[in-house]
This record gives sequence, C-alpha cells and structure tokens, in this order.
Amino acid sequence: MDKKLILNLVTPQKQLLKDLEVDMVVFPAFEGEMGVLPGHIPVLVQLKEGSLRYKKDGQEGEFAVIGGFVEVVDNVVNVFAEGADLAEEIDEEAESQKIKKAKDALSRKDADIDFELAELELKKSIARMKVKRRKHG
Amino acid sequence: MESLRDIRQNIKAIKSTQQIMQTMKMISNARIRRAQEAMVAARPFATKMLEMVQDFTQEVLALPQPEDAPESWARRFFVNRSADPSKIGLLVITGDKGLAGSFNAVILRAVMRFIKENKDKQITVFAVGKKGRDFLARLRVPNLHLAYESVGIFPKVSYAHADLLGNALMKSFLEEKLSSVTLIYNDFKSLASQNLVQRTLLPFVPAADVVKDTHEFEFEPGLLEIFKLLVPRLIKANLYRVLLESQAANLAATTNAMDAASKNAGEIVTALELKLNKVRQAGITNEILDIVNGAEALNN
Repeated sequence: MDKKLILNLVTPQKQLLKDLEVDMVVFPAFEGEMGVLPGHIPVLVQLKEGSLRYKKDGQEGEFAVIGGFVEVVDNVVNVFAEGADLAEEIDEEAESQKIKKAKDALSRKDADIDFELAELELKKSIARMKVKRRKHG
Repeated sequence: MESLRDIRQNIKAIKSTQQIMQTMKMISNARIRRAQEAMVAARPFATKMLEMVQDFTQEVLALPQPEDAPESWARRFFVNRSADPSKIGLLVITGDKGLAGSFNAVILRAVMRFIKENKDKQITVFAVGKKGRDFLARLRVPNLHLAYESVGIFPKVSYAHADLLGNALMKSFLEEKLSSVTLIYNDFKSLASQNLVQRTLLPFVPAADVVKDTHEFEFEPGLLEIFKLLVPRLIKANLYRVLLESQAANLAATTNAMDAASKNAGEIVTALELKLNKVRQAGITNEILDIVNGAEALNN
C-alpha cells in the first residue's frame, strides 16, 4: 500500500503536527476507538479525551488529547483537539502536583475566576495522567 | 529666576521618570515577541475551524426545521428566529492599564458612538480589560447592563480565558435573546500601529459558496450533535485569537508610548541642562564682577 494519510493536529494554542505523512491513525472517538487507514470514507467525529496514536514507517507516535473533533476527507485527517500533549513529554510528577494544587484551590472556594480556571486545569491534568498511566502499565 | 538647586532637582526628577519609562518600554518589548508567537500559533486552529464549520453550515441549515418545533441550539447562532431585535450585545476589549498612548481612548470613543447609535436598544455588555470595565461601570446609561467582566488577564491570556468568555457570551446570547453581538477591540497590525476593529461576532453569516461536497460524510454521533459542539469551539477559538491580537496590540502601543515619552523626557533634560549652565555662568560672572569692582574701589 503506497497511499499515505496526511495528518494535521491543531489545538487552540498551536499546531502540533502539520501535513505529516502517516500510515495509520487511531483516536478515541465518540463511540470507542477508531482507526483510520488510507482510503477511509469521509467522516466527522467527536473526539473524546484519551490517546491519539499514529504509525509512520513502522514507528509510533502518541499524544494525549482532550476533546475535540476529527475530520477525515480525501486521505487528510484533521484533528482539532481542545488540548494535546506529546505522551513522552507528560511529567507524571508535575501533573499530580497540578492536580493537587487545583483540588486545593477548588476546596477553598474563595476565589472567583480562579475557581473556574482551576476546574478546567484539573480536568486536563487528569486526562493526561490517564494516558501516561496506560502507556506504562 | 530659578535657583541652581531648583533646576538640579528638576533634572534629577525627570531623569528618574525617564528611567522608569525606559524600563517599561523594555518590559513590553520583551513580552511582545512572545505575544506575537502565541498569536501566530493560534491562527491555524481558528482558520481551519472556520473552514470546516462553513463547509457544513449549508447542510445543517438545509435540515428540515418544523415551524412549530423549538429551534435547534446550534442553528440559533446562524439564524435566530426567537431573537429580540431590541436587544443587542457588545463585547469591549481594552487593556488593563493606561500608559499606552491612545490605545484605550480609541476603543472607548467607538464604544460611546455605538451606545449613542443604539439608544433605543437594550445593550448587554461584556467587558474584558480593566480600563473598559471601569469606564462602562461608571457610565450612567439606563439601557446598558454589564453581564460579564474579565480583568487582569493581560499579558497572560490563555485559552481558558477565551473559554470562560465564550461560555458567558453564548449563555447571554441565547437566554437574553440578543439579536447580535458586536465586538470592539484593537487589532495588531504591526509593531508601529494598531487598528480599531468593530465587527459583528454573532450571529454567524454562512458562506455563500461551499466548495466541499458534504453529502457523503458520515457523522459520529449525528451532524447536529457534532455541530452543537463545533459552534462553541469556533466561537472560543475566535475569541482566543481576538484576545491574543488585542494583547499584542496593547504591548506594541505601550512600547511606542513609552519610547516617545522617554525621548521627550530626554529633550526636556537637555533644555534644563542648558538653562542650568547659563544660570551657573551668570552667577560666576556676577561674583567676578563683585571682586573686580571691589578691587577697583580699593585702588581708587
């Protein structure tokens, strides 16, 4: 099979992957994990939090993604994620500290805007931890 | 005539102010690069998102919509049948601090004009930035009410801020049945200039020409469900971009204002130093004259 997929991964903060040629993409879709190979029919699916993996020349790459959408059309896979981190770069120590900090802030309940921000951060950190944990058993 | 001491004190004071201004200039100059990078990095998401939503808009709008059924949530951001034409929204994005030339003044002037033009309407205001918030809170206009405020977020704007703002905006838009939301902010044009932008944020105007054929798409879950999630994200991505633009523009304005101010201070110092030397020289001449006169008197 010489056909390839073009993978784009963007988050509101930045573009993480741009026009990367890959052989296969697997991501957490609304109704379970979904794998995409070249020649896939056009779809638009909701992305859940979890791990997004791709295969390129026998090598694998993995990102922890947090919600969003995936559009597949004409062998182009566009991933719009609310947040995404390279799985290897997730620091478990730092994340668990972030979770603790966010929980502290939430339990105090005295701040106004920080309260909502902390809740958001907490959700993100927990999703990252999940991916990291799964990867290392 | 001023004494030497007065002038010296004056020079010292101006020089120390100049130093502060130079420092402020350097700080915003250093921050501006990061702000610009964030701005550029956020662009692909916003543009790609817009493309995608535009592609599917026609199809969503073409879905059968029974007259008696309540309008679907996402559709209301495009064509809102239940909107009240006498109610509108206004989103104002200013800086948190002054000392940025006409940066905030330009925005607030446009806001005043907007309020005057819409005297007969109920205006729901969303204010980002301390300057705009304070200004709007002081205004005593009966048809105005402040629905949301966010201060102190510059120069550390993150997507979370856009998220909160977007939620508040969408909630008001639907619950208060606003017929439109107008946005007023300063766009980053270049390091030397900012552009005042006033445009309609909501409702969306679907693109007239759609290139992609969306009929053979499969959706998971359904198209409407996905659209319901797409629209808020598009709004937030847009807001995030606007916040970043505004942030960079504010930093650029501060840099320029401080640069001009410290140059001006330099000129004043030069003028004062000239005056100081003249006064000092005049004093010396007087003293010499005294001595010469005294000596002459003795000789005679």
